[in-house]
Amino acid sequence: MTTSLALAGILVSAAVPLAAQQTQQDKESTTIGGYGEVHYTNPRGRNTPAEVNLRRFVIYLAHTFNDRLAFRSELELEDAKVEPPGAGGEVALEQAFLDYRVSDRVTLRTGLVLVPIGIINETHEPPTFNSVDRPAFDHDVIPTTWREIGVGIVGRLPVADGWNYRLYLLNGLRADGFSDAEGIREGRQEGREATFANPSLTGRIEWARPAGGLRVGGAFWYGGTTAGDTLLGTGTFDAPVTVLSADARYDRGPLSVRAVAATISVSDADTINALYGAAVGSRISGGYGEVAYNVLQFLAPQSSQRLNAFVRHERYRTTDTAALARRVTTLGLAYKPTWNTIFKGDYTLLRTEAGTGQAEVLRLGVGYQF
Amino acid sequence: MMQGAPPAKVTASIRRIFGADAEASALAVAADTVLRVARGDSLLGFASVRNVIGKDQPITFLVAVDPANRLKDVDVLIYREPYGGEVAYEAWRRQFRGKSAADSLRVGREIRAISGATISVHAVTEGVKRALADLTRWHETGAIR
Repeated sequence: MTTSLALAGILVSAAVPLAAQQTQQDKESTTIGGYGEVHYTNPRGRNTPAEVNLRRFVIYLAHTFNDRLAFRSELELEDAKVEPPGAGGEVALEQAFLDYRVSDRVTLRTGLVLVPIGIINETHEPPTFNSVDRPAFDHDVIPTTWREIGVGIVGRLPVADGWNYRLYLLNGLRADGFSDAEGIREGRQEGREATFANPSLTGRIEWARPAGGLRVGGAFWYGGTTAGDTLLGTGTFDAPVTVLSADARYDRGPLSVRAVAATISVSDADTINALYGAAVGSRISGGYGEVAYNVLQFLAPQSSQRLNAFVRHERYRTTDTAALARRVTTLGLAYKPTWNTIFKGDYTLLRTEAGTGQAEVLRLGVGYQF
Repeated sequence: MMQGAPPAKVTASIRRIFGADAEASALAVAADTVLRVARGDSLLGFASVRNVIGKDQPITFLVAVDPANRLKDVDVLIYREPYGGEVAYEAWRRQFRGKSAADSLRVGREIRAISGATISVHAVTEGVKRALADLTRWHETGAIR
């Protein structure tokens, strides 16, 4: 055998080390990661002292069983400590599912999964967003972190480069948790002895520009919310909630822009409100836009660190009451010594269409992921 | 954890980057394997197959350099996550072409970010930088020739 082989012969010589690596492909492996954030929150005013909080501490644990089968999970501790009867404090699984890769384009997924709506619900590691807190819209309209149990199919669409999809059949929302100020938020079941009376469908299609820089997505949720309460309905899809949402992320050099919009229709809001003494809106809608610029570009052109100056404006309403039509403006700075660590500071002005409930909040925070 | 690529994928990648009549042979260097690519007596370059960890799965990629230690191309041989994987697209990979070990490769500057694929972008960029530095050093010191 000569040292230089015909190309077909590469397999003869190169196959030795490559094949050695190949056999290890069947080896099981475990990956540990995590993320977290600490917040300092200071609302303006005399009787509103500042608070510091270890907002989230999350352990990411994944295991690869073989080439096709993998487990992924996130275990979260909120507010550092759980000790009844104190307020706050929660230990929860944010995700826990098995993936079975059928092909390069199709993966079957089952377990507790993230609802694929908006940006923050699926991608919420603190270094991925500039503000200390998540956008208020991603609390009151899209109820992050929204996760439910079910089965689905995820992967890449064969139409062209850059198209991804997810489609899940999950347990439904519970109408008895809906409220005027937070919409469908407390209707989530989050994998805890959830009723499967109203299986719901949710899905997402997104396109990422193959050269990078842009990702746009559209998502939906549809399902009944009776949770077995016959007074609200006996059909699987009775008292349905429909969510439609669109989002976009644009990154080019020092500039980052992101925007999300969503509209939620609660079809039998009147019946729900009469039955549970609530005041949920029949239409919950709004969105936000955020622009950030890496000003370190001017201060230290050689640096690979980032200092993002950003402004975000949110407008959304959870009922047709003017006092719940919110306007939230946030200005701030986010310093990223590495892509996966972040130091943040921002100022938020909250207002409503009614002119009530005006508040100003100063926040500082640190975050990491690995 | 090391995971490899099927030899057929490596062959196809070498062929695409260096031409169908390229000949390749494996060289062992510093516990790694470098592919030496030649046509007849003339050296076309070197290539290295490596892994970086994305979110939790390895991304297997190939880095090819020419005899002047300039990066010829990057190929993503296997991307194992169920969706995403934009780092595999030619439109993004081609930014690395022509770079040398002395060049700066920073995400958001010389290398475009991919919105929503931060982990893969940083992992692959870092992996390419390391492979390019290794191949350059080994070639300059005569460890591969």
